[in-house]
Order: sequence, then structure tokens, then C-alpha cells
Amino acid sequence: MPSFAEIQRLLRSAELASLPLLSVGVLRNATLEPIEPYLRYSAMRAGFRAEVHFSSFAGAFQEALDGREKVLSRSDLALVWLHFDTASPRLAREFPTLSRADVQSELERTLGELRVLLAGARRQTQATLLCVGFETPPLPALGIADGEAAGFGQQAVVRALNDGMREALAALGNAYFLDLSQVLARLGVERFYDPRYWHIGRAPYARDALREVADTVTRYWVATRGRARKCLVLDCDNVLWGGIAGEEEFAGLALGTEHPGSAFREFQQEVKNLAARGVILALCSKNEPETVWRVFRDHPGMLLQERDIAASRINWRDKAENLREIAAELNIGLDSLVFLDDSEFEVERVRSALPMVEAVHLPADRAVEYRNLLLAGGWFDTLSISEEDRTRSAMYRAEADRRRAHDEIPDLTAYLRSLEMVAELALAGPGEIARVAQLTQRTNQFNLTTRRYSEDDIRTFVESPDSDVLTIRVSDRFGDAGLVGAAILRCQGPLAIVDTLLMSCRVLGRGVEQVLAESCVALAARRHCSEIEGHYLRSAKNGLVAEFWSSVGFQVVKREAAEVVYRRRLSDSGSRPDWFKAIVGPFPVETLNE
Amino acid sequence: MSDADVRGRVVQAMMDIMDVERAALNDEVSPDTLEAWDSLSHMNLVLALEEEFGLRFTDEEIMAMLSIPQIVQTLVAKGA
Repeated sequence: MPSFAEIQRLLRSAELASLPLLSVGVLRNATLEPIEPYLRYSAMRAGFRAEVHFSSFAGAFQEALDGREKVLSRSDLALVWLHFDTASPRLAREFPTLSRADVQSELERTLGELRVLLAGARRQTQATLLCVGFETPPLPALGIADGEAAGFGQQAVVRALNDGMREALAALGNAYFLDLSQVLARLGVERFYDPRYWHIGRAPYARDALREVADTVTRYWVATRGRARKCLVLDCDNVLWGGIAGEEEFAGLALGTEHPGSAFREFQQEVKNLAARGVILALCSKNEPETVWRVFRDHPGMLLQERDIAASRINWRDKAENLREIAAELNIGLDSLVFLDDSEFEVERVRSALPMVEAVHLPADRAVEYRNLLLAGGWFDTLSISEEDRTRSAMYRAEADRRRAHDEIPDLTAYLRSLEMVAELALAGPGEIARVAQLTQRTNQFNLTTRRYSEDDIRTFVESPDSDVLTIRVSDRFGDAGLVGAAILRCQGPLAIVDTLLMSCRVLGRGVEQVLAESCVALAARRHCSEIEGHYLRSAKNGLVAEFWSSVGFQVVKREAAEVVYRRRLSDSGSRPDWFKAIVGPFPVETLNE
Repeated sequence: MSDADVRGRVVQAMMDIMDVERAALNDEVSPDTLEAWDSLSHMNLVLALEEEFGLRFTDEEIMAMLSIPQIVQTLVAKGA
């Protein structure tokens, strides 16, 4: 971890200037300025050039109410961070002197102020709002009695304030709660507070606390931008088990419920937990494939199973090349990969050849810490976990089975027909809003416009009489791929505009995208439009779909560097994939089955 | 470590934190004479020196470290 001075030097590097800007506005009531270099540094590591603007010391409320300091109006991310002791000196510093009625009224006053501040901030900006909660006081003034005080202990009061904050944020939308108590718990009192600077300059937090908060803020930002990583690529020897498979008998490998094998088993459980959150697992190991799979199949200590692994490269070739192939096979970007290896050589090799991969060294003599290293990484953090996430590994497994079937059937159409695919179209209801918002935040490649929407935005599209949100689910004889695509249609008189059309890449090349486009056309017809318009907004990652609208019968009407506009008369017929077993939807789609 | 070594590392830290040239950092500079040396950069400098030398200043020391000779003297007295 670089020192404060090293960070200052790194931030003067020229490369920083080429990164996209992230303007962070901070509403605060204490000295927080030393967070700036940490925030800029962690943003730089995530690929952004952060600028940090602070409200004046006493101006947080004023700024939320009338925006006079212009801190919020120019922000991409608004951070609200009130220091508890300053927000309520009575609750923080005089707690035992207060009656229950005093505590109750002070709690309500503080919460009322917070609500005004947050609602005001939302009026000033639609940017992602991140509110830092109050840390639960680690040294409550009532001592060991604090937890016994029937709901009126200092810690219970702070928890109530935080619950109120969470409620207020949930009502605002695109607003999140950063749990400062987690930071305090990780660091401890000594590394969290700096009482010297609290007294000298009203700066309450120590540099470690500021560094941790800065990293967490960046994790939120990355998650809202759909930049969280998606796939964990694991080395095997001295990562999943201790020792080298093939060089030692099974009994020589460290893996099981007792030390030292318990460290590896514990780590494997955490890897499985990530898979349950929707992280794709892959292997990249220098060994013989049969040797590794024999451990997977036959070693009694193994928790991970062969079917948990979506892709693998077990060979003696360059790992950077193997990682490239894994990303291509899974249809994801290299910047979606996290690679763990116990060899510093391999990690350095990957870092220099593929800087966009997060390559992490696991030192073999610290296997007992592997689990915590994985948990602390935060590489896969998303804003919420959906049902879709929970079943993702099963979907990728099914995809692997499909690929094998593909190998057996050379003719593509015959293969597609053999899949017995069913596409189910639906207008999104309340149950799909979270998933659709998540798709807009995460989908980078098959995404015509890459517009990122919050759940509230999607709800607005769903509820508005002039727009529809269309979803498509796909299943086949290997399993249910779930809700894999969505489109947002806005109607302006006789013209229907496809605001968003996106699809998960794991169903690419199976005609699902065609069905989705034709369904937009069918939907526009149902709304009595006469023409439909599609846009392609070029991004760094969506080159894949540059020709999509042409491929579904749309004509170019305007072409600029960053945007191409296409139209199609509804009277023109499109091309219809004929290999689906069934296409069902809320409007006539029989024509699609022709 | 000699006083000169300590002084060299202090000057380097000041250059990193305050973004000033070495030539500007003579024994006479203080928060009163150097524009980049304000209360915030002083705080950052203290944090950087604590990391650099692996020690911790008291609040009284922080308030007294207002010139390069005073900073060096404080560090040497703390065993740097």
C-alpha cells in the first residue's frame, strides 16, 4: 500500500489526465480534506480522475437547501458525511446527563435535520447519493450498561439514527448508505480516530479511516457504473489446496478440516459463496488437466466441484494468453477478471501483459489469511444481489453443456433447433424492476445505448403511459437462462423510440436479440405507431452491436461519430428466427413463430 | 541517522505534499512565509512524516513544528 507521500506523487502522473472525470461533492460538518488524495488515488486505480469539492464547514445545510456553493450541482457523486459528535454533541458527548425524553427529542431533531439535508441534496442533484452513517460509539459513556439500557443506550440510539437515515435514503432513490461502523470495526478505535487533529483542526478521523472510506466510496461508484468484476480465475496448487497435485499423493495435499488443510477448505467455501452471489469461476493452472480434475472429483477435502467451474485452462502455456482465452470463451471483458495466484512471477506477468486484469498475489506462507484477503478485496461488489445472480453459475454450467452439444452437431441451425429454446416476452412489472436496472448498470457489450438506469428510473418507464419496458426470458432443454435481455420503448406520436436495448452476452448468437428487436416492433405496432427508431451510441465496449440495427432491417437516417440513428417502417417485415420451439408474449407474436 | 539525513527526508516530504521546489525550502520558511504551507498541508505533512519515520507526534509537537529546523529537531529528539 503506497504511503501518503507516494500517493501525492502518483497523483501528479500524466496518465491521470486521460481518465474520465468523476466529480465528487462532499457535504460535511467537520474537516475531511485529507480524504481527498485517498479518494483521488482509489478512483484512479478504478479508472477515474476524481475531483473533490467540499461544502464549506458550516455550509452543508445551506448547500442542500439552495445550492449556493455549487458543490452538488456539478457532482457525479454526492457524498454526505456528517460527524456524529458535531451533528449531535448532546447524544455523542453528554448522553448520561439526558433524560429519556431528552434523548428521544434529540434523536428526532437530529434525524429531522438529516432528512432535510438528504432531501435537499436530492433536489440539487440527480447524481448518486452516498450517505455515510454514524459509527456506533465504540466507547459508550454508559460503559458496560449501555447494551442493557432497554433500547436507550447510546449505541441503540445511533443504530436508530442509522435506520432512519437508511429509510430516508431508500425513499430518495439512487441513494446508498455507507456503513461507517464496518470501517471502525475493521480498524479499531486507535486507527479510526485522531484525537490530536480533532482538537487542533476539527478533523476527527485518522488517515486509515479516511483511506478505508475512500476505497468504499470508490466501490460504490464502480458498482453503480457497472464496472464490478464478474469472474474469479483461480490458480490451483497452493491456492485451492496446499502442495502440488501430481507431485504428491492425495494424502500429501493440504486440504481438509484440520490444519493446515483447513485454511484451503475455508478459502474454497468463500469461493463458493462468491459463486452464490453470481461470480463466475474459472481455473488457470500450470498442471495436467487430468491431475487437477482428479483432485476435484476424488479428494475428500474438496468443496468446489467440477460443475462449479465455468471455464478452465489447465496447461503449461503463458497465463496471460490463457486468461485472454477464458475471457473470450465466457464472452466477458478482460477487465471483468480477477486472477489469484501464489506465484509472484505469474502475477507480475499478468499485471504487465494485461493491466486491466486485477491480478492478486496470495503468498503461500499465509494461506490462513486467504479467506480474509478474498473477503476484503471487494472486487465483485454490486449494489444488490438478485435471484438471477444466485443462479448464474448454473447458467454458465448449462452454457458449457451447450458448447459440448455444439461440438457434436456441426450444423448451426440444426444445433439451435436441438436446444428447444423458449423465449418469453413480458412487460416488466414491479418484480423485474431491480433486475432490469441491474442489467442497464452491468451490461457493456450487447448494449445499444449503454444508458445506466437506477431502479427508480426503470419504475418511471414502467409506470409512464408513454413508455414500455420489455423483458425477455430464455430457457432451453439444458436449463433456464432467466431474464437475459430488456428493451425500453418510448412513444412520441407516430414514432416509437428504442431508448435501450440490451442483452446478456451469454445467450449471444442464438437469435434472442432478433426476437427482442422484432418484439419491439410488435409492441410499437400495438401502440399504433407507424415507424420505429433505434440508436447506436458508441462506447468503448459495444463495438459488437455497431451493425445490429442494420441486421434487423433498420435503415440509417443520421450518422455521427458517436451516434447512429436508424429507422424502420412498421409495415416492413423483419427476419424471424425459425429455430425457437416457442415464443410467447403479452401481444401477438405468433408472426414471429413463422 | 544524521541530522542532515533527517533533513533530506523532511524536505522530500514537503516537496511531495506541498508541491514546491527544493530551492524554496530553506531554514527560514514557515507557514507565515510559504503560501503552500497552510493548516491543511501542515496536517498532511505531519501524516506523511509519521508514515515516513514510523513514529507518532503529540499534539504539542505538531503545533511547534513550524520550520524545517524545528521539525528536524523534533524528529531527532524522538529517535529518528
